[in-house]
Amino acid sequence: MSLQEKYQTLLELANQNGTTYELSEGEGGTLIVTGTAPSAEAKQQLWDEYARLDPEFNDGDFILNIQTAEAAAGGGMHTHTVESGDNLSKIAKEYGIQWKAIWDHNRDILKHPDKIYPGQELKIPM
Amino acid sequence: MKVKYLTVLAIAAAMFLAACGKSDADLQKAVQDKLTADGVSGVTVAVNGGVATLTGEVADITVKNKAQASAGAVEGIKSVTNNLTTKPLPVATPAASDPALTGKITEDLKKAGCTGANVAVVNGKVTVTGEVPNAKYAECVQVIMQSGITGIDNQLKKGS
Repeated sequence: MSLQEKYQTLLELANQNGTTYELSEGEGGTLIVTGTAPSAEAKQQLWDEYARLDPEFNDGDFILNIQTAEAAAGGGMHTHTVESGDNLSKIAKEYGIQWKAIWDHNRDILKHPDKIYPGQELKIPM
Repeated sequence: MKVKYLTVLAIAAAMFLAACGKSDADLQKAVQDKLTADGVSGVTVAVNGGVATLTGEVADITVKNKAQASAGAVEGIKSVTNNLTTKPLPVATPAASDPALTGKITEDLKKAGCTGANVAVVNGKVTVTGEVPNAKYAECVQVIMQSGITGIDNQLKKGS
């Protein structure tokens, strides 16, 4: 049975509840579903169906990457909450990017690249 | 007596015509129209003795299933042989470098309260180990799967 057949009920459900998706093939033939659900409820329906097909989510042949339309509108930014001991270089290293990229994306909330404070939410370009 | 015989023959002929009212060519057109009406494209239809055979390449399994249902719903179609194939899928690329993905997932897990889960990303494939509370399990898996990875080896355990 192909992976598309294995997960067909989930894909049918996506079509019914208004989720737009694209399929791609990942590592070792993994079926990857990347898409946007119209609501949190629609997204949850898909995860419920996934739980029915693979209760522990550990078959390793499927990746369900669905965001809600609301989250999608937020763009491709990731948020990092500053912790005590953080500095831009350290955070940048964690994400494999340059500290200056973080500085450039957060000039609206940062006054100086050396001055960041615990609890601040930094936008991380991914 | 002769009249009665002719009447029976006429009725029989009428029933035969009603049953086989549509030729294979008519059915072929009816199925093709039904597929178009249902928004299914890229399917070639052949009908032989009321059996529809579908060939061609469609986007995914849901379109294949839909085509089968649509064709089968056409009056006069006895059965459907579904020889449709699905398009080869594009190869996924990881959303970011391995260290970037590891950093993002680790941070997102922390934010979701999934402490206890450990991730290691190699060439876009994540290996998840550790243990998270049972009630948090699905949410933690969601966080990982939404990070832009292209493979997963989920060894995460459910704690109490």
